[in-house]
Amino acid sequence: MTMHPMLDCDAVMRQLWDYLDGELTPERMKQIGAHLAVCQRCYPQYQFERRFLDVLAAARNDHPALDQLRLRVMAALKDEGLAGVG
Amino acid sequence: MLHSGKTSRDEQFRAEALPWFDDVARFALSLARDRDEADDLTQETFLRALRSWHQYTPGTECRRWLFTICRNHFLRGRERDKRVVSYDDPEVEALAAASIHAAAANRGLGDIFERVDLGDAVTHALDALPAPFREAVVSVDLEDLAYDAAAEVLGVPIGTVRSRLFRGRRLLQKSLLAYATDAGLAVGLDTIRVEDKG
Repeated sequence: MTMHPMLDCDAVMRQLWDYLDGELTPERMKQIGAHLAVCQRCYPQYQFERRFLDVLAAARNDHPALDQLRLRVMAALKDEGLAGVG
Repeated sequence: MLHSGKTSRDEQFRAEALPWFDDVARFALSLARDRDEADDLTQETFLRALRSWHQYTPGTECRRWLFTICRNHFLRGRERDKRVVSYDDPEVEALAAASIHAAAANRGLGDIFERVDLGDAVTHALDALPAPFREAVVSVDLEDLAYDAAAEVLGVPIGTVRSRLFRGRRLLQKSLLAYATDAGLAVGLDTIRVEDKG
């Protein structure tokens, strides 16, 4: 079994966004995950940031008139010589 | 043969570029924040992509390539981003996020993101973000690009993406906490202090 040296809270906080974005090495991801699993100080902030990112991702708005825009762009591409559209 | 070359180009373009139409339209709208400008930007992105198709390597990341064209064209004709803007170190930004959480928790807003529907408030807060921060947040948090892909699309180093992203998130959280406080969900907004430089 591989033992991970425990990180302190400050080190975890410095890399919390990177951790939530999955941008760390697998080893570092494991270390921070292990810390969060047992740290009552860091875990609430992790939950707060994770839910914030969920809310943000849900704010993704599609174009309100996509079909109309698609027709316009396909016509322009056809005029430009693209076959098989419009 | 010229004909078969064009046929191949058209087939590849239809197969690899056009499936990303919705994503490019949404990304253009996020950048421009104006329907007419965004629609022109979307059209120009696909026209430029078609004309430059020989520069694209089939089978690589077409979405990222299209976003880059879109963003480059958006910047053309704009003077912004030429100015020098100072940004904090990403790790400083990451640590500053802790102060936002602490302030939220002190005001009884620690669970605000699960307790309240913040959809409209998030949209307004995003619109109000300065462009460099909004672009980083949109690229990573809404369009789900990895840091390296966002760096390529935005034409900046990864470290800059991180600092803009983290600052953008912090500014958004501050706006959302202010919104929640104004809505009577907490008291004492003046205790939520965030250093805003630049």
